[in-house]
Amino acid sequence: MNPSATENVRPTVTARREQAENIYLPRIAVLDRVVQEIQDVKTFYWHFEDPVDQRAFRCFRPGQFAEVSLFGVGEFPTSLPPSPTEAETFFTVRHVGSCTSALHQLRPGDKFAVRGPYGNGFPMEDYYGKNLVFVAGGIGLIPLRSAIVYALQNRKQYQRIQIFHGAKTPKELMYVPNLGEWEHTPGVECHLTVDRSAEGWSGNVGVVGSLFKKPGVQVPVENTVAFVCGPPIMFRFVIKDLLGMGFQERNIVSTLERYMKCGVGKCGHCCIGVAYVCVDGPVFTYEQIKKLGEDI
Amino acid sequence: MKARILNRTDALKIVDLLRQQGYEVIAPFRGRGRDTFFETVTDQNRDQVQLHLPNPYYPPKRYVFPHIERLLTVKRDNGDIRIQPSYEEPKRAIFGIRSCDVAGIYHLDRFYLGRDFKDIYYENHRKNLFLVNFVCSDPANDIGDECFCVCADTGPAAREHFDLQLMDLGDEFMAVAGTPAGEALFADPIFKKATDAHVARRHAILDQVRKAFKTTTSWFSATVRYVSQGDILDKTWEEIGNRCLECGGCTYVCPACTCFTVSDRQVGPNEIERVRMWDSCGLGGFTRMAGGFNPRRAVHDRRNRRFFRKLAHYFIQRELSMACVGCGRCAAVCHGDIGMPSVVEMIRRATAEVEKRESVSH
Repeated sequence: MNPSATENVRPTVTARREQAENIYLPRIAVLDRVVQEIQDVKTFYWHFEDPVDQRAFRCFRPGQFAEVSLFGVGEFPTSLPPSPTEAETFFTVRHVGSCTSALHQLRPGDKFAVRGPYGNGFPMEDYYGKNLVFVAGGIGLIPLRSAIVYALQNRKQYQRIQIFHGAKTPKELMYVPNLGEWEHTPGVECHLTVDRSAEGWSGNVGVVGSLFKKPGVQVPVENTVAFVCGPPIMFRFVIKDLLGMGFQERNIVSTLERYMKCGVGKCGHCCIGVAYVCVDGPVFTYEQIKKLGEDI
Repeated sequence: MKARILNRTDALKIVDLLRQQGYEVIAPFRGRGRDTFFETVTDQNRDQVQLHLPNPYYPPKRYVFPHIERLLTVKRDNGDIRIQPSYEEPKRAIFGIRSCDVAGIYHLDRFYLGRDFKDIYYENHRKNLFLVNFVCSDPANDIGDECFCVCADTGPAAREHFDLQLMDLGDEFMAVAGTPAGEALFADPIFKKATDAHVARRHAILDQVRKAFKTTTSWFSATVRYVSQGDILDKTWEEIGNRCLECGGCTYVCPACTCFTVSDRQVGPNEIERVRMWDSCGLGGFTRMAGGFNPRRAVHDRRNRRFFRKLAHYFIQRELSMACVGCGRCAAVCHGDIGMPSVVEMIRRATAEVEKRESVSH
């Protein structure tokens, strides 16, 4: 190996070791492009400056999360909407607090930093041979997108796949290009609904649970895992519907959202019941969530 | 464990020995009033070091987990970002750390260094830390009204996790080595062989000291069981919550509390540093998320959290160590009288009233 090649390799190797030793050390990422999803929600496509970091990071599982650093403002946890089977890494983030606001102001080429992936993720291999029912309210589709894309990439491993997505208005449906694709994918039942209709909307009007009773829709209960993500009120009603249909509490999974600082089980902020959401979650079955004893 | 005997007057020579070995030695001092505190020993204050005094409120935890600690420095240069982690690896000894606080540091070891992720900042502070434990043997000076290490099983004499342990036997001090590093000190001529009589004296003193505690949370283990089983009534948590003033004092003086928050601060035109600082689950913003949603809105939810985290069997098993070491500081600082001993007492009283525990019927 010539000396210059050694020089190129060394910083990377040292840096990797340092990151493995220091759980709080983020790695530098570069923003590639930004796509406006709905009002206040944008998708940020990015990559790690160091290709070694990029390769290491892409081993994440659907349902895991990452910590995003906007230096001078802070760090926040966010879901990983891409599937590990996809080439690009991205976050979809709503503008809601100071860190997310700083992220929304970044332009392509700007640098920030990322740590992760963290958390347990969905046990997608455990679900082989089962029916998958995805129920997403609004931006609840962000954490579920990863599992959906993963399931479609590994289509043969699963039985029926149903996607139910509801939003307040047609303009607030998430990942519209993906929805269009899923609606036309053979072997995938994709049902959309909105709370309030608008011009040009010919689909269902009503809460997401109303889709379960729609003529022609038959939700399999036996041998099925239901993924539920959405705002607290939607979550409570969908759970009620699913339990009413005969779903077992342990066959309903969701991801919890909590204020967290470290993502690695140390800072204590996300500790609820007997679990640290960051390391024991964020994916929990409804059976577990009930025992944690806190609001969703 | 090996024991040696030394003259009373030679106890401070251990401080000198450690300082000669390059340790920054931390020791307890008495303030101008009733206050006591840990401070670095210097040539000037060396003779003021005291061993028999009330355990300082501000726990020695800060020597392994500083109140505010820099994690990283980040420099910006023309759109580029350079992240530089900052590490401190002090060589420190704490002289006169009480048994409860030794258990506190052990708990922090279990928490920060255990499980999947290891905290390197904590490890750096901890790896060269030498602990000289001092056994509380003088009820008038050493043991506060709120101390309950006898119930938490951490004192008055620690059984492990120290390098060297000192105990006042009256005319002489007994030194016990807990680690090879502690035993290495015995090479110094101030240490003399101990006899059976010394060991008997130690046991006799400890027997007496164990009877001198004013606070005995005799329902501690029952409380652990009830909390773990979810048997505490909401009414009881509310009663506890109603007494909480949300000052966060209990968590700040606790030698076993681990929570922190992280904040970025500007230190130069193109330079920021990321620091972490102690945080408290008693404070309203602890769980508040961006957007304002707070899953733990009620005060009693937050109080409940602190005691659940410390008393639930699940966490004791998770760390194989309990997050309450019986130092009694929370009881001493709480204006609402809901330190750990009072909470155990409130749970005991509430449980006595609960009919569900009474299965007798006619």
